Amino acid sequence: MDRLIRQIARLSALAGGVVLLALVGMICASVLGNATLKLAQMAWVQSTLPGLAEGMRAAGIGPIRASYELVEIGVAFVIFAFLPWVQITRGHAMVEVFTARLPARADAALAALWEVLMAAAMVLIAWRLYAGMLGKVKNAETTFLMQIPLWWAYAACLVAACLAALVTLWATVAALRRAARAWA
Amino acid sequence: MSDLGLGFLSFPVLLALIFARAPIGLAMLICGAGGLTLLTGSPNIVLAKLKTETFSTFSNYNLSIIPMFLLMGQFATLGGMSRALFRAAGAFVGHLKGGLAMAAVGACAGFGAICGSSLATAATMGQVALPELRRAGYSGGLSTATLAAGGTLGILIPPSVVLVIYAILAEQNIAKLFLAAFVPGILAALGYALAIALYVRRHPEAAGSAPALPLRARFAALLPVWPVIVVFGLVVGGIYGGWFTPTEGAAVGAAGTGLIAWATGGMSWRGVQDAILETARTSAMIFFIILGAASYNSFLAFTRVPQELSSFVVGQGFSPWAVLWLILLVYLILGCLMDSLSMILLTIPIFFPVIMGLDFGMTPEATAIWFGILVLIVVEVGLITPPVGMNLFVIAAMNRDVPISATYGAVLWFVAADLIRVALLVAFPAIVLVLI
Amino acid sequence: QEVVLKLHQFLPAQSFVPANILDPWADRIEAESQGRIRIERFPAMQLGGKPADLVDQMQDGVVDIVWTLPGYTPGRFPRTEVFELPFMVRDAEGASRAFWQLAQSDMRDADFKDMHLLGAWVHGPGVIHSARPVARLEDMAGLKLRAPSRATTRLLEQLGAVAVGMPVPAVPEAMSKGVIDGALLPWEVTSSIKVQELVGHHTEFPGRGVYVATFILAMNKDVYEGLPQDLRAVIDAASGEGFSAQAGRLQQGADAPQRQVAADRGNAIVTLDAAEAARWETAAAPVTAAWVAELEAAGIDGQALLDKARGLLAQNAN
Ligand code: NA
Ligand code: NA
Repeated sequence: MDRLIRQIARLSALAGGVVLLALVGMICASVLGNATLKLAQMAWVQSTLPGLAEGMRAAGIGPIRASYELVEIGVAFVIFAFLPWVQITRGHAMVEVFTARLPARADAALAALWEVLMAAAMVLIAWRLYAGMLGKVKNAETTFLMQIPLWWAYAACLVAACLAALVTLWATVAALRRAARAWA
Repeated sequence: MSDLGLGFLSFPVLLALIFARAPIGLAMLICGAGGLTLLTGSPNIVLAKLKTETFSTFSNYNLSIIPMFLLMGQFATLGGMSRALFRAAGAFVGHLKGGLAMAAVGACAGFGAICGSSLATAATMGQVALPELRRAGYSGGLSTATLAAGGTLGILIPPSVVLVIYAILAEQNIAKLFLAAFVPGILAALGYALAIALYVRRHPEAAGSAPALPLRARFAALLPVWPVIVVFGLVVGGIYGGWFTPTEGAAVGAAGTGLIAWATGGMSWRGVQDAILETARTSAMIFFIILGAASYNSFLAFTRVPQELSSFVVGQGFSPWAVLWLILLVYLILGCLMDSLSMILLTIPIFFPVIMGLDFGMTPEATAIWFGILVLIVVEVGLITPPVGMNLFVIAAMNRDVPISATYGAVLWFVAADLIRVALLVAFPAIVLVLI
Repeated sequence: QEVVLKLHQFLPAQSFVPANILDPWADRIEAESQGRIRIERFPAMQLGGKPADLVDQMQDGVVDIVWTLPGYTPGRFPRTEVFELPFMVRDAEGASRAFWQLAQSDMRDADFKDMHLLGAWVHGPGVIHSARPVARLEDMAGLKLRAPSRATTRLLEQLGAVAVGMPVPAVPEAMSKGVIDGALLPWEVTSSIKVQELVGHHTEFPGRGVYVATFILAMNKDVYEGLPQDLRAVIDAASGEGFSAQAGRLQQGADAPQRQVAADRGNAIVTLDAAEAARWETAAAPVTAAWVAELEAAGIDGQALLDKARGLLAQNAN
C-alpha cells in the first residue's frame, strides 16, 4: 500500500511535469514565432521582401494567440499535480528549531497532529474546488480567447487535488500509527 | 472579541503554530481560515472563498515563472552546468576567503535583475548554488543565509513587481523609481559581500578556500561553460531587449539548459524524472506557502489590522523623523508574517499621504521616491529576519541537513548589513536620488 | 450602526472610479441613512482573489457589494456584450442610460438574475495605446494588445492584432515587462496606471470609441432584500438609471485631461481619417455577425437585442 500511494504521487508529479514541459515548449514556439515575425516586419525586410510578413502571418507564424491563458490554466494544473509529491516526501517548509529536543512521545503526537490538520486542509481544498467547478459549470464561464470552459480546468485540477487529499490521508494514517506505537 | 483584537491575537497564534513545527503554509491557512470563521461567526465565507481562490492563486501567469526557473535549475544541474559555472567562478575568486559565497550573491543580483520575486530568486539560485557551496566546503549556515539574503535582491534590483505597484499607489513615475532602486540595489549586494567577509573572518572554518590559480588556468575554466553563458545571456538579454517576458525567458532558459544537458549526454530518462520530481517538490512547497499567505492576508484585511495599525502610528503626533522610523518599524514587523505585495497594498494608501504631509526638506517627488525605496528595503528585510521569514523557510526546506538555527545565526550578519544600509539611506537621501 | 456593507473592487482607492463615483455614492448612502448604513470599502482586491472572482464573492456573500466588469468573466453575461461590440458608442452618458434600460428590460431575469443591480454604465470611447504607431489597419498586424473583454478580443483578432486578456491592474506590469505592446483603454484610466509613460502612441477612432467596456455595481440579492424598507429606499435613491448615467458622464469627462497628459509628454495621438475608419469597420463587421450567431446558438435572439440596443443608444443620445 505504501508503495502504491507513493507511486500515485510520483505519477501525478510526472503528469504535472509533462504539462510543464508542454507549456515550456509552447512558450518557446511562441517566442520563436514572435521573433521571426518581428524580423519580417522590420523596415528593410519589408522593402526587400514585400509580402513576407503577411505571408508568414497567413501561414500562422507569429506569437501563439492563447499562450497567456494556456499558461494560466496550465500552471494551475501543474501545481495541483505537484501537491501529492510534496506531501509524500514531506517537503513542506517548517521550523524545527524549537521542537528538536521534544521527547519521542510528544514528537510523534505533534507530527500526527499536523498530518491530521494537513489532511483536513487538503480534503477541504478538494471539496471546495469541486463546489467551484459546479459553479463554473452553471455560469458557463470561459477563457477569453480559446473560449475553453473554465470548469474543464477546474475538473483537471480536481483530479489532482483528490489525489493530494488521498495521499495526505494515507500519510495521516501512518503518522497516527506511529503515534500510537510511541504511546503504547 | 473585537475584529481588531482577533487580528492582533492571530500574530502570536501563528507564531506558536510555526514554532510547533506546523508546515508554514498550513499554519497560515489555519490562522486565515480559522480567523475569518471566528470573525464572521460562520464558516460560510471561508468555504465560499475557497471555491475559486485556490484555483486563482495557482492560476497565475507571473508566478508560473517559479516552476519554470526551478526546472531550468534542475536541468543545469543535470548537465553539470551549475558545477561548471561555479568551478569557473571558483577559479577566479575561490582563493579569496568567502569568495564563492560572494560570487553567489553576485549571481543572485544578476538573477534578481531579470526576476521580480524574492521567493523565486532565492529558490532558483538556492537550487543551483547551494550544493556547489557545500561541495566547496562552506558551512551549511553560511550557505543558506547567503542565498536567503541574496534572494531579497530579486525585488530590489529592477524590474520589481513591488515597485510597479508602489508607483501606481503613490502615483509616481515607474522609470524614476527603477532608477532610484539601482544604487541601493548595488549597495545591498556590496553590503552582503562585506557581511560575508566579516563572517568568515570571525568563523574561518565556515568557508573553504582553494589555492590561487594562474591566469591561464582561470580562463581555461571558462571554456566548458560557454554554452551556459550563452543560454543565460539569451535569457537576460532577451528580457531586457524586450524580445520576451520574464516568464517566456524562464521557458527559453529551461528549454536551453535542457537541450544542453541532452547534447552533453547528461540527460537520461531517469534524470529527467528526477529533475521533474525535484521541481515538483520545491514548486508545490512554495505555492502552498503562497496559498497560506493569501488566506492569512485576506483575513488580516477583513480585520482591518494593517489599516488600524497605520492610523495609530499616524495619530501619535510625533516628529517627521520619528514617524518615518515608526512606519519602517511597522513594515519590519508586518514583514515577518505578510508577503510584500499585500503589505504594500494595505498600508501605502494610509502611510503615503502621511509621509507626503511631513517636511523632510525635499521636493514632494523626491520624498515619494525616497520613501518608496526605503519601504521596499524594509519589507525585504522582513523576509530574512529570524525567527520568521519566508526566504529563510524556503531555503531551509531545500536543505534539511542544515539546522535552521545555523541559518539564523549566519543570517543576522546580513540583517545587520541591511539595517546599516537603511540607516544610511534615511540619513543621506541623496544616495537614492543621485540618478534622477 | 444597523448595517455594515462591504464593498470590494479591483482598483486602488484613489483611482478615478473609486474616488469620484463609488466613494460619493457610498458617502451619500451613509449620510442619507443617518449613519444607519456604513459602507466599508476594500479597494485593490484587498480581501483576496482575482478581479474575475468578484462576482462570485458577491453572490456567495463573501462581500456585499462589488464593482466589476462583466467582461472579466467571459460567457457569464452574454447580453451585456451588445454594448461592447466594435464602434457602437459615441457618448458614455447616453450609452449608460441605454445600458441601464436594457438591463432592466432584458437582463434582469437573465444575466443579472442572481444579484441586485445598483448601477450599469460604460466608460468613454476606448482608444488604442501602443508602443508602435498605428495609423493604418496594416499596423495592427502582430501587435500584442491587452483586451478588456471577449468582444474586443475578437475585434483585435479581426484587425490582425494578437489579443491578450487581462484586467486593468495587470496592465502596467505587463507593459513594463513587454508582455504586451499596448492596450485598449479609455483615456480616463491611463495616467493612474502609467500608460502614457509606458507607451508613446495613441490611436482614436473618429466620432466613436473603438469599443467601450461595461461596468456593473451589484449587491448580494439576499442582503439587499433583507434590509428594512426605508434603508432599501435610501440605496435605491442613490442608485439606478440616474446614477448610472452620471457615472458614464463623469468617466467620459475625465478623458480629456488624461489625453492632455499624453499630448504634453509629446506622445503621438492619431485619429483615423474617414476612409481608413471605413476600412476598419469593414474589417470588424464579422465580429458583430459572429456575436449575433453565437447568441442565437445559445437560444437568445441576438439580432433583436442588437436592434433594441441601437434604438436605445439613438434615443438616449445627447
Ligand atoms: Na528584480
Ligand atoms: Na522576518
